[in-house]
Amino acid sequence: MSTRGRLAGIVLWWLLLALAAIGVQRTLVVGNDLRSFMPPPQNADQKVLMDEIGNGAASRLLLLAISGAPPDELAALSRGLVRELRSDPRFTQAYAGEQSTTSLDPALLPYRYLLSPTLDHAQLDAAFLREQLDERLQDLGSPAAAALEDLLPRDPTLETLAIAQRWAPRHAPALRDGVWFSPRGEALLIAATRAPGLDAAAQADAIAAVRAAFAALPGAGKAKLEISGPGYIGAQVAASTRAEAERLSIAGAAGFAVLLLIAYRSASILALVALPLLSGALAGLAAIILVFGGAHGITLAFGFTLLGVAQEYPVRVFSHRRAGVDAATSVRAVWPLLRLAIVSACIAYLAFLASGVPGLQQLAVFTIAGLLVAGAATRWLLPSLLPPQFRDVADSPLLARMQARLAAMPRPRALPWIALAFGLLALWLAPAPLWQNDLAALAPAPPAALAREGELRNALGAPEVRYLLVLHADSADGVLRLSERMAPLVEKWIATHAVDDVELPSRYLPSSETQRARQARLPDRATLNSALDVALHDLPFQPGLFAPFVDDVQAARTLPLLTPHAFEQSPFGARLAAMLVERDGAWYGLATLDGVHDAAGLAQIAEHTDGAAKLLDLKTASEDLVAQYRTRILQALGVAFVLLVLAVGGAFRDVRRAWHVLAPMSLATLLAIAVLRACGVPLSLFHLVAITLAAGLGLHYALFFERPVADAAEARRTLHATLVCVIAAVLVFGLLATSTVPVLRAIGATVALGVAFHFVLSTQMAMRPDSRASNDHAR
Amino acid sequence: MLILAALSATAPPPDAAQLIARLKRPVPATTAYTEVRFLRQLTRPLVLRGELEYGGADRLGKRVDTPYRETTQIEGGSVTLTRGNGEPRHFDLDRAPELKTLMGGFSALLGGDAATLQALYTISLVDNANGWTLSLAPRAAALAKPLREFVIDGAGDEPRCFSLRQANGDASVMLLGALAGAALPNPPTPAALAALCHAAP
Repeated sequence: MSTRGRLAGIVLWWLLLALAAIGVQRTLVVGNDLRSFMPPPQNADQKVLMDEIGNGAASRLLLLAISGAPPDELAALSRGLVRELRSDPRFTQAYAGEQSTTSLDPALLPYRYLLSPTLDHAQLDAAFLREQLDERLQDLGSPAAAALEDLLPRDPTLETLAIAQRWAPRHAPALRDGVWFSPRGEALLIAATRAPGLDAAAQADAIAAVRAAFAALPGAGKAKLEISGPGYIGAQVAASTRAEAERLSIAGAAGFAVLLLIAYRSASILALVALPLLSGALAGLAAIILVFGGAHGITLAFGFTLLGVAQEYPVRVFSHRRAGVDAATSVRAVWPLLRLAIVSACIAYLAFLASGVPGLQQLAVFTIAGLLVAGAATRWLLPSLLPPQFRDVADSPLLARMQARLAAMPRPRALPWIALAFGLLALWLAPAPLWQNDLAALAPAPPAALAREGELRNALGAPEVRYLLVLHADSADGVLRLSERMAPLVEKWIATHAVDDVELPSRYLPSSETQRARQARLPDRATLNSALDVALHDLPFQPGLFAPFVDDVQAARTLPLLTPHAFEQSPFGARLAAMLVERDGAWYGLATLDGVHDAAGLAQIAEHTDGAAKLLDLKTASEDLVAQYRTRILQALGVAFVLLVLAVGGAFRDVRRAWHVLAPMSLATLLAIAVLRACGVPLSLFHLVAITLAAGLGLHYALFFERPVADAAEARRTLHATLVCVIAAVLVFGLLATSTVPVLRAIGATVALGVAFHFVLSTQMAMRPDSRASNDHAR
Repeated sequence: MLILAALSATAPPPDAAQLIARLKRPVPATTAYTEVRFLRQLTRPLVLRGELEYGGADRLGKRVDTPYRETTQIEGGSVTLTRGNGEPRHFDLDRAPELKTLMGGFSALLGGDAATLQALYTISLVDNANGWTLSLAPRAAALAKPLREFVIDGAGDEPRCFSLRQANGDASVMLLGALAGAALPNPPTPAALAALCHAAP
């Protein structure tokens, strides 16, 4: 192909990739939700758990504090921000503290006699009414009179206030100008996002919306808005992790470019080297979109890591070009082995496809499609675009000396067995724990941010993210009954400081049983009127003042009981709706907890209620899910290994050759794990993926070292390609290993360590005797 | 005309300003009171007796001694109400507009702060045979909604009565100092109380 044709081809390829990238970006829906990476829930219990992990009401709360202005301005800003956020569809709720006495929907007013606990211990008889009316007279003489006068004729026993008090948070901050204030004088407010707390992208969007709404408020200029909450911290951590990963990746890419320039003395190589990998990645994404409709964030992170194997394909092609032979012919010479590597890797990843876990299936589809396309691009597109002038790497005297050294290196037969013994010993003696199941520990939040979040959460009396009290019954009403039975116990917990508050569903809506009992205690019109007459004796209330009260009591006597569905239409209904969920015909009540001091004590509730009420520790539960998921990955990896052995063995039809390839790869993997464990590193999912990538690279080293070659020059080309690959991998992943973010360090250190072991063991165990024996290193 | 209107909006009448300056009291100031409340919902007025305590700027205490015991403490923007031996109840000053008005007026009066009063109310001063009557009509529509008029009667440097008239028809008259101990007219109608406030000390 002419130089112009070649250039045009490269440009065209890049353009097509860019177009494909735009297309993929337009259609790809990336989920950031850990749950879809979990095994599909098997029963209703698990479904509720899945819903609550990273999606629970408490995890959606953004805690906001406004400071830096006089209190009245802060209050105005706080109210203004709440107004803005309430009209923003990204938020389901926003509160700055105003607790209206009319929090009961006007349409539900007669229901107050069924909702308020007053009738549980009192009757609307003359004695009770007299006591109440005496109180009201004093209220009218007090400064609270103005707030009371409108309420009095209809509600002389102040049930509306009793309900408002029941519904108000137990530990609300102090009110000033109707707005919550912290002891430090900041205005406090809460906003609940529609997006789950774990969805870092959506949380970042919501946070930007809060900032924009605040900045647009009149007078916001000098005031300071502080944001906290689980979603905020998650988004911050995700952003800083991404920034760090990008910084190190750019440094790694620059180092890789320098390495290529040194290795091939050709700048045009740089334009070509990334093309197969990028083509593979885009093909993988397209395949995920076609098969699954969307991709999972962790799938993509894992997938891109695993696809890193494909970066070796063009390097093998570059290094194996021979003088006097066109590029296509050179490629044909290495292609069978490359094809074997690709196909056996793809066969191995089929194990993930059969795992039954959607996240792993996505990973398999992405990786298999990516490897196949990267391989095909390397084989059929890359050669025609290679520059015609090149330097045969076999001519390098330095490489010749290295090849001679390697060939002459002693290869004690016992070495692999000693290494194996040391590896097993290290695994045996390594400190506990073996596994790291807390994914959050891999990307930890700054302690100061966590402390501030705890402070605001405490000040606002906002529920804890970690714990949830789950009530289980066969109907919504059954949940409410259970919740009522729990209420005295909860009071005891609060009194003994096991917990600061528990928001039970029956706090908002009593069970039908309780409503019916209260309804039955309401007197008929004649009885109530005569009781009222007796009670009003001597009191200066205007005659007929309480007619609306009598009417409401009569209405309440015949009301149909208030159902959760009807209640959920009212302003406070959203609270109840979030607490009562139905899964597969079973009903669950989700009570949030605030200030858990004795989780172990609370957990005993399950025994007292025969498991109908359970304390759910979402941290433990999600760690259990991660552990389950890891078991699946390990099973899939085990099957993948067997498939790989069969594929390689089948291709070679020679046990000895297959052994030479597979043994160093397996031993190096074991040693990498052993070193990590000996250093006290508990293994996480990310370590497993990194180990898998390193094994994929190691397979290449072993395959190529084991390949029978015609002459010593070809052996030097193999060494050259392998060295470029090894140095590149150690460089790129070694840089990641310097990161302060544990997850990046885990991936970086594991791959770099693994690659080093794979290289050393491949030279020890896979290099062919003919190339080892070769002394012909000068041309 | 416009200029005059603008002037009247920013400066109290000179006599009123002088009077208000003279009303200034050192902190804390306490005074006995007898309050008569006329409420639409009641057939006869409520009569309360007790003591007011002014603690400066945004601190005011009101104690009821008869016919029952109750204390109200205002501090900052929040009110604490304790009746008998009951649990204290807390609420926001915004929820008690009547009290907020009284609080603002009281602070400005006892602080001798004519400018603040002028910003909140249109002030007029009438001298009568035995003293003076300072009438405050709220300027802000928000304040005018619940409150129609705030009237202070006095003689010399002493305020004798605070009278509030609400837009909804409710009214209260608070007799202060020496007048708090005086016998109430029977029946205690608004007119009879007004006469008492204007009578010679």
